[in-house]
Amino acid sequence: MEFSHFLSAMTPFNIALALFGVVAGTVIGSIPGLTATMALAVLVPITFSMDPASALILLGAIYTGAIYGGAYAAILLNTPGTPSAIATTFDGYPMAKRGDGDLAVALACFSSVFGGMVGAIALLLLAPPLSKVALAFGPVEYFWLSIFGLSLIASLSNGNLMKGLAGGAFGMILSTVGVAEISADIRLTFGSQVMIGGFGVVGALIGLYCIPVLIDLVATPERHLKVEENVKSVRISEAFKIAMRSKFNLIRSSVVGTLVGILPGAGGSVAGLVAYSEAKRTGKDHQKFGEGEPDGIIATESANSATVGGGFIPTLVLGIPGTPPDAIVLGALLVQGVRTGPAMFSQSGSIVYTFIYGLIIATILMLPAGLLIGRYAYKSIVTIPKAVLVPTVGFMTIIGTFAIRNSVSDVIIMLCLGVFGWLIARFGFAASPIVLGLILGPIAEQGFVQGWTIGAATNNLIGMFFGRPISQAIIAFTLMTLILPIYLAYKKQPHKEV
Amino acid sequence: MFKNNETAEIGRNKMLKKHIKNTVAIIAAATSFASIASAEINGPVNYIIPFGPGGESDISARLQQPFFKDKFGEDMVVSYQPGGGGAVGWASLNGLNGDGQTIMGVNLPHIIIKPAQKNVGFKTDDLNTFYMFHYTPDAIVVTADSPYQTLADLVADAKANPGQVTMSGSGKASANHLAQIKFDKLAGTLTTYVPFKGTGAAVTALLGKQTVAEWGYTTVGAKQGDAVRMLAVAMENRHPLFPDVPTFKELGYDMTGGAYRGIALPNSASAETTKMWSDMIAEINTDPAFQKKMLDGGFAMLDVDSAGMKDFMAARVEEYLKDAREAGLIK
Amino acid sequence: MGTSSSKSQGQFGSLFISTLFIFIGLITLYDTTSYSDRDSQVFPQTVAIILIITAGTSLITRLLKPSNEGGFGEGIWWRRVLFISAMFITCFAMPIIGFLASGVIAFTSGLIAAMHDKWSFRTVLIYGCSGAIIMVSFFILFKFILFVPLP
Repeated sequence: MEFSHFLSAMTPFNIALALFGVVAGTVIGSIPGLTATMALAVLVPITFSMDPASALILLGAIYTGAIYGGAYAAILLNTPGTPSAIATTFDGYPMAKRGDGDLAVALACFSSVFGGMVGAIALLLLAPPLSKVALAFGPVEYFWLSIFGLSLIASLSNGNLMKGLAGGAFGMILSTVGVAEISADIRLTFGSQVMIGGFGVVGALIGLYCIPVLIDLVATPERHLKVEENVKSVRISEAFKIAMRSKFNLIRSSVVGTLVGILPGAGGSVAGLVAYSEAKRTGKDHQKFGEGEPDGIIATESANSATVGGGFIPTLVLGIPGTPPDAIVLGALLVQGVRTGPAMFSQSGSIVYTFIYGLIIATILMLPAGLLIGRYAYKSIVTIPKAVLVPTVGFMTIIGTFAIRNSVSDVIIMLCLGVFGWLIARFGFAASPIVLGLILGPIAEQGFVQGWTIGAATNNLIGMFFGRPISQAIIAFTLMTLILPIYLAYKKQPHKEV
Repeated sequence: MFKNNETAEIGRNKMLKKHIKNTVAIIAAATSFASIASAEINGPVNYIIPFGPGGESDISARLQQPFFKDKFGEDMVVSYQPGGGGAVGWASLNGLNGDGQTIMGVNLPHIIIKPAQKNVGFKTDDLNTFYMFHYTPDAIVVTADSPYQTLADLVADAKANPGQVTMSGSGKASANHLAQIKFDKLAGTLTTYVPFKGTGAAVTALLGKQTVAEWGYTTVGAKQGDAVRMLAVAMENRHPLFPDVPTFKELGYDMTGGAYRGIALPNSASAETTKMWSDMIAEINTDPAFQKKMLDGGFAMLDVDSAGMKDFMAARVEEYLKDAREAGLIK
Repeated sequence: MGTSSSKSQGQFGSLFISTLFIFIGLITLYDTTSYSDRDSQVFPQTVAIILIITAGTSLITRLLKPSNEGGFGEGIWWRRVLFISAMFITCFAMPIIGFLASGVIAFTSGLIAAMHDKWSFRTVLIYGCSGAIIMVSFFILFKFILFVPLP
């Protein structure tokens, strides 16, 4: 924790790495189909010739930028650039449609920087005690956490509760297709090998979110996004003011994001969803969420950026990666001969602390870099004629989906899902519940089966599922989240859509 | 007159056939010379890991990466193709270019057990595995503060409370699972196996005390250091990194093995290319610096090259299928 | 419009999709009977039942209370069809004619589908060139910088 490490992080080389990493990461994250994991995997060999701390700073900066960059496509194209930005589409795209796209992008930047700082500071000051949180989360807690995430479906589906739940269930069924993770069966492939790999989340995201938007864009002559004639730079201070007004939301979501990031296997998408759910439940204007409420973006973007720092906690302290990009960082460290795990903070303390300070610097650098890139991105998306925008994005979806697993069948599946998603959206079935089911289904299933196995073996099923304090807290939050929309639905007029 | 024409025609056919034969022979010789000459690498090679990042396959590939660049001058690009527990990658292998620029990691027992269970898109023999370069020996791991000081303690507890000793592990019908089944048979115990997605998750469960023990590998012991204690390892001799940990054999249980990892080429690759790769990996494998890195990580070295692969695989196939059948995992 | 609620596009579509989901749930349940491990059956069975119940409820309530909600709305059909079929054709063509060539198919069709204004020589030139630049830059980015093996 000494100041000397901060100084070693501040070398021109490291700062240049941090800046480059953040910019490169932002660009990569904004392209749907390209994930932070992919970018890191390619750049790891470059780090072999660097010293470990600088290598970590580069990788961490790319990761930070990528999580932020996912918001661009989410806001401007309704397509999460990375899975962590799913919840950003809920309010980001509506804001863009009504002309507040630049505001949304600026908000995303401020929130990401704040969330990233909270995560990084938690890593710096509280890593060892917080790593215990990672361990305290057992299968049952993961199960209840996924149920909590799924309960968001209920509150998202204003008035279309049954259809939303059906979509969620459908998403969960989709998640079971292929080789079962925790048992030895192969499910729902109907004897064909095409579906052995199942429905990848990234491909499904692109299909269900982006393709319907494109299908509708070609069909009408209207512009994609409304353009205001204002001077763009004014909106940065406006965004700042809005963020300051929602201090509590910002802080709470960042803390939530850090905690969820600590849980191995959860990741930015779950963090965004949980933070969004809480922001909606406790917000002054529940109804506005989902129609372009800035607080929604503040919640999701700060939470998913906080997972960067949070995810490094179990990675560095326990040697267990919090998220897939963390796993790559672990690999890079191992090659350098750095032993992660309990010994790391004591033996390789200088590397760790220099890295953490570097991460903080990268997060700070994201503010000017992000605002600049964001403004540029917004301008280009808004001014490009639709005739060029649509084919470009369409081309991007094809190449992006292909790049996930180098498979053409993935692209075909993505397109099929896209057409299907467009179709059912016409008749009241939204895409988000399906995606939620797809992401949370495996977590729910594994948590349930593992919890059941342990509980049955120790003759403690009830105690297992309902007797653990963390589980009880999560169950309580879930109930609170569920009661609100059911209550609202009850209050509404009888002839609503079901 | 007829006869003359026929004879002439037969004669002409014979000449034609001879010409064709000669031409074919020349072409064949030329191409085989060409392929011998072309058994070399041009540009970066693509090393596909059929899993997500962070696992043992990834780590061992990452360790090979700098040595490859050093010895052969080309970049080794590690990419991931997860899905189906490796099945997606292996099913796509033979559709890839066999020119030697693309290789893929393979794992035992996965590539033997999976095709035996259901149609996964490939058969064990389809994969042109040319080298097995390491294995991670099975090991029982407990936390440092666990009441089990020795393997005997765990066995005693399991015998006294059948089914109540919970052991985490990675996947079902995997190396960990097969090890648990085998040990239960040898020791006459009944433990409960709790499957997790990957070794990382299994270790987390152990450290968080969700289960009382873990069926893992020596790599877990290396990574977690003092936070865990290994009760036994499934090796012939003790691992150099853990001189205090007995082998299962020493304690009276005839168990050696673990998860084996190797590399394969698409089966359209020529014999020359296969031999070339086998030699290259062998060279990395015999480098003392590489061996040290692997051993420090808890891996155990192994050298089965393309020549010895057939017998090695045949022995493993017999062993794994027998174990799996007895365990009821396959029919 | 002239259609009554119970025959409107929205009504028919909603009922159709609900029925489709019920069908999917039933298929899932049927598939679970072939699993060897009890553990793999629990989750799909539970979720399939949830799907059937929720889709069924939606079906029944919509039948009892028909409304006009939903439907395909406005929009020019041939453009949509062109765009989507071009994307599919691109996928099938990719292994045969390579990535860039099939990408051209997708891009051009998308261009035609999305272009609502009149074409002029200038726009053809500009859009065509920018399209080419975009495709080539993405191709380079993915194939040579990120080492993605595009056909």
